[in-house]
Amino acid sequence: MTYLARITLGLLVMAATAVSPQSGSKGPVFAKDGSLVLPAGFRSWVFIGGPITPNKLNDGTAPFPEFHSVYIERENLRYYQKNGKFPEGTVMVKELALAQVGEHPDGSLDSASGRGYFPSTLNGLDVMVKDSKRFAGTNDWGFFTFGHHAEPYETVAKESSISQCAYCHIASVAKTDMVWVQYYPLLKTKID
Amino acid sequence: MRKILLVVILGLGVAAASSLLRYSNPVAAGSSQTTAVFDSDGKMKLPVGYRRWVFIGAPLTPNALNNGKANFPEYHHVYVEQKNLDAYLKTGVFPEGTVIVKELTRVLNPTFPDGSRTEPSGRGYFNGEYNGMDVTVKDSKRFAATNGWGFFNFGHHPLPYAESAKEASVAECAGCHIAYVAKTDMTWVQFYPILRDGDKTK
Repeated sequence: MTYLARITLGLLVMAATAVSPQSGSKGPVFAKDGSLVLPAGFRSWVFIGGPITPNKLNDGTAPFPEFHSVYIERENLRYYQKNGKFPEGTVMVKELALAQVGEHPDGSLDSASGRGYFPSTLNGLDVMVKDSKRFAGTNDWGFFTFGHHAEPYETVAKESSISQCAYCHIASVAKTDMVWVQYYPLLKTKID
Repeated sequence: MRKILLVVILGLGVAAASSLLRYSNPVAAGSSQTTAVFDSDGKMKLPVGYRRWVFIGAPLTPNALNNGKANFPEYHHVYVEQKNLDAYLKTGVFPEGTVIVKELTRVLNPTFPDGSRTEPSGRGYFNGEYNGMDVTVKDSKRFAATNGWGFFNFGHHPLPYAESAKEASVAECAGCHIAYVAKTDMTWVQFYPILRDGDKTK
């Protein structure tokens, strides 16, 4: 290799690495056995809404305890707002947080801003991925749980069984691309 | 051949340099910049793009648990820019120019007296429509009298919000922050998991 050719190669690598941090969606990462790798950087995605199912309103153990903060990448949100469905490769992350323990029987807390529910520690992560080939059996979406507990979460997760996750989405929200769009203000509007 | 290679090298050099510059510019701009915009009267303009900032947590004070009328009805979605969050996690204080946005939403169609409803995921609260916005801005000169932070209310009602807001009185906002959270940079950090425990995914 000539000296100039080596410089060319070096600059090519520089140009490639310099550009790569700007590229947008990275999409889901699967291990060889089909397990999903824990998504990274999701707290910088767009937050679309946060249902709260307090343990104290659910016989002490809510199925998803207790705050559900849902995140999606911006380009996938924009696609949904335009087309009414999510693009292939969409990853939706639901991160859980426990509520601060309050003095009321329903678990709520009196705070300076009023009586209600306030987040305490992070408490788990569930993820759904749209891939119409890989998850053809469950309306194009695969479901994964990385644990319902404090950090650290599992680093990889196997696809959840139909009875754990997909069943309920198929029964209730098959017509809205398997997503409970009615809970998320940003999915109900076209605002940015 | 050498001439062609030289041209290629020059081209790639420019491409690489401009890519690096583009990537590093927002980082270099850093903490001295603020997205807060004030008009000549000192009114703050409605922030834009905040739903793409980092969401740090969402207290909920349902109207039904607050005699029908919560002070901040009802969900409080709180956002901060990534660079300011990173600085806070590193230093324990927010940099000058930090803007924190709290956007309110109502709860979705209550069916129980406490404002909750039952959905397949359980009984609880779900977001309804957007319902207003409050903003705090850190500027130690402009807001020296209120511990370095100014407070602005763009309305507690559905979209659209007010286009600009004058600084809220001490009694409306700052008084309570001074009384309770003066030691944690005027912010209720205990309600925001990432502010309290850090971002362990990074």
